[in-house]
Amino acid sequence: MTAPVMTRRLVFSLTGLLVVVLGSFAGNLVAGNEPALGLDLQGGISVTQEPVGEFDSVSLDLAVERIRERIDSLGVAEPEIIRQGNAIVVNLPGVANQEEALRLVQVTGAVLLRPVLGALQKTPTDPNASTTTSSGSDPTTTLGADSTIGVTTTLSGVTTTIPAPTTTLGGGPSRSLPMVASTVLGSAPGSTDAPVTTSSGPDDTVVTTEEGSAVTEAPTAQAPTSSIDPSTFLGDPSDPNAIIIVDNTDGSETYQLGPAFGTGEVFNNDAKADIIQSGWGVRVTLRNGSTGADLWNIGAAQCYAKTTVCPTGRMAIVLDGVVQSAPSVNQPSFSGGVDITGNFKESEAKDLARVLKSGSLPVRLEVQAVQFVSPTLGEDSLHAAIVSGLIGVALVLLFMLLYYRSLALVVILGITLSGLTQWNVISLLSSTNGLALSLAGIAGIIVSVGVTVDSYVVFFEKLKDELKTGRSLKNSAERGFKSAWRTILAADIVSLIGAFTLWYLTVGSVRGFAFFLGLSTMCDIVIAWFFTRPAMLLLSRNKRLQRGRFFGIDNTVQPVGGA
Amino acid sequence: MEEVSTVQRRGAFGRLYHGETSFDFMGKKKIGFTISLILILMTIGSLFTRGLNLGIDFEGGVAWQVPVTATMDTDAARTVLSSNGIEADNAKIQILTNGSTKSLRIQVGDQTPELQLKVKDDLATASKTDANEVSVSSVSSSWGRSITEKAIRALIAFIVLVSLYIAWRFEWRMALAAILAMLHDVLISVGVYSIIGFEVTPATVVAFLTILGFSLYDTIVVFDKVKDNLDKFAGSRTSMANITNVSMNQVLMRSINTSLAAVLPVVSLLVLGSGVFGAIALREFAIALLVGLLTGSYSSIYIASPLLSLIKEREASYRNFRGEHAVGAELAHMVLSGTATGAKSVRRQASATDGTQASNFAPTSTALLTHPPRPRKKRRR
Repeated sequence: MTAPVMTRRLVFSLTGLLVVVLGSFAGNLVAGNEPALGLDLQGGISVTQEPVGEFDSVSLDLAVERIRERIDSLGVAEPEIIRQGNAIVVNLPGVANQEEALRLVQVTGAVLLRPVLGALQKTPTDPNASTTTSSGSDPTTTLGADSTIGVTTTLSGVTTTIPAPTTTLGGGPSRSLPMVASTVLGSAPGSTDAPVTTSSGPDDTVVTTEEGSAVTEAPTAQAPTSSIDPSTFLGDPSDPNAIIIVDNTDGSETYQLGPAFGTGEVFNNDAKADIIQSGWGVRVTLRNGSTGADLWNIGAAQCYAKTTVCPTGRMAIVLDGVVQSAPSVNQPSFSGGVDITGNFKESEAKDLARVLKSGSLPVRLEVQAVQFVSPTLGEDSLHAAIVSGLIGVALVLLFMLLYYRSLALVVILGITLSGLTQWNVISLLSSTNGLALSLAGIAGIIVSVGVTVDSYVVFFEKLKDELKTGRSLKNSAERGFKSAWRTILAADIVSLIGAFTLWYLTVGSVRGFAFFLGLSTMCDIVIAWFFTRPAMLLLSRNKRLQRGRFFGIDNTVQPVGGA
Repeated sequence: MEEVSTVQRRGAFGRLYHGETSFDFMGKKKIGFTISLILILMTIGSLFTRGLNLGIDFEGGVAWQVPVTATMDTDAARTVLSSNGIEADNAKIQILTNGSTKSLRIQVGDQTPELQLKVKDDLATASKTDANEVSVSSVSSSWGRSITEKAIRALIAFIVLVSLYIAWRFEWRMALAAILAMLHDVLISVGVYSIIGFEVTPATVVAFLTILGFSLYDTIVVFDKVKDNLDKFAGSRTSMANITNVSMNQVLMRSINTSLAAVLPVVSLLVLGSGVFGAIALREFAIALLVGLLTGSYSSIYIASPLLSLIKEREASYRNFRGEHAVGAELAHMVLSGTATGAKSVRRQASATDGTQASNFAPTSTALLTHPPRPRKKRRR
């Protein structure tokens, strides 16, 4: 290769690196990306949960999603939800209330099958309602929203006729029959002391329930409330025996649901989305025996007959207090499998299948570790780590300056570029992948300064060796880099192997450390090749520098052969 | 000719700076091995008698942290514990000083979540502070166990992979020596923790892992030089001890520089971070790192390389030269010239001249066939 071509390549490599590093730095600044701080640096709560017993990996994914939804809905800034192996680590920076945090992250993934007592359309979109049919028999086409209107129910001699709402689509008014429910579940419903009134605007279908007594209904024409207030839950959605009011997934419909007939465990773990009767649906089989098909059929029979237990004829599939689907039951008894059809999009059918799969083998998460860092402690550590770290790096650079004189400028530039590169990667990953810089990470970076400096030391020492044998500066720089590069690569690969092993096999802070160790090692390799190499080789070609003592070693004393 | 005389009269640092040292590391290997053996025996003794002070992250347990107030001290904390039915005698209670604020850290075994919150509220009441000022950290013992197991598994995988890499990139003897030196570093660092009784936390483990990585890194750089020299000296019929000695002298300056560069930020973390700013979280980290970095630098010179030399001496090509090793002028010549050719003639010449000059010896041009020395020195003689 001719010298000008080589020079051009070196200049290209150098400017290329500068453009990339400075460009992405500017990009990050403009986009407002900056490294997110880990829990140990800004205070907050970290909860680690692990599934116990038998579970399905799908349900674990779903549990992580549910935790994320819950946390997002509460607007916690920069939450970090990480799956490490089977463990789920939730970091909630800035959250001080421990009880609240624990409640927030504890999801079960348990699916409950509850009869729909009443449904209320909030927005006039197509509801997710659908029909259930036994696999391979009695093909029934999709029903839109259940439109059973004006149900008459009789209980304890009291007959009530509820006027049909004129505009609401759903809204089968209903009543619960706690006694019947308890025969299914074997226990009385949860406490529902105060009758809760739900209403749907001017038409006012009022649903009143009262536990343990003859149901009284007062279909008032002008109910004072205009919408369902979520705070008026009749019971805890996780209590299978409670009567609850919950929304569906997109919030378009609100349901009042009775005590659960059973859980998602009546199904086998084989739910899958499929095309059923020219539309997307979900097909699932029932477990045999009293915990499977029998339990399901008790509920199905009630809903099919539209008894007081299930006046709307619809069976809601509820996951963690959200109705996933509420199909109408159009068959009194099922054997083998259940098809759920409706106006599903492919993705909706797949989601529902996933919910059923996870519900059939719900994951039981157990809190394994709770860590709390007070915000002031975190701030102090951050401040101390940054200031002392910077001073430490400054000392190293000063030492380099004393030892290598002006050559140290290359080291200083290289370390700055390496620092900027790390800042770029961390900022980018912070905003896209929720990476957070922990104290262990900062320490890892500070220690890596030593390794980065070492690359230069190895190179410069080799350069000195070469110069001493009487080679020209240009020649020495080339040969020195070649041999230093081998050493640097060998040593860095050992570090990378360590970083990857640790990252892959451990959890918590060790994993965080491994990430930053790997990152800084990669930066070292990149900077050595794309910055140090071209910078030094170009400098060594400079005629003026070849004469001076620029390299901190006496390169003017050229050994003359043949003395 | 003033300049020439300064070259000749270089002090210890000057020689170090110019890579002209001729320290006989191999001759002192017994001292290094003895020191390390004593340290390792002390570590093993301490691990058996005192054990390690494992934090809750490994053993499981609950730790509350509450600010020290007029009504909150160690005794008050014990009272709260016993009123909640927890054995106060087994509780570990420390006073942590973080800058100007003091807090109590109360650590007990695994407790139910309800009890953890109850104690938290009681501590807040007793110290007359807000409940949010009291922090609870808890780790179930099964989780702690699995963390420990995972760390050990990762460590074994790490050692296996790194050994394979070194064996492939260099040779298996170097892999063996490097891993032994690394284990030596970790063992001694753990020993320091056991003897002083520092609590082992995840941060400590992170620090130990850093040490492990750094120790290997340092050793690899030295071994790379040894490998270079093995090729260079291949035809020289010289002993492994000589090659090792030469290599170590050649990388000595680099080893010192690198160790300084690595230790300086850590010392800054320790002195400024935890000392001046009072960040306790940094202290344990910095101490573990410092101990590890120092042993790491020491072992790459005094343990890893002599070990390698001992292992390699058994090879056929070096067996005949066992026990033979050059010192003084002869070594200096080899360090400078990068070859053993003519080294013996240097020794003869050196012993003929003034003995004190030997260590300071500048080789003659006749001794250096490949790379002639600086001519002015010769003219002077």
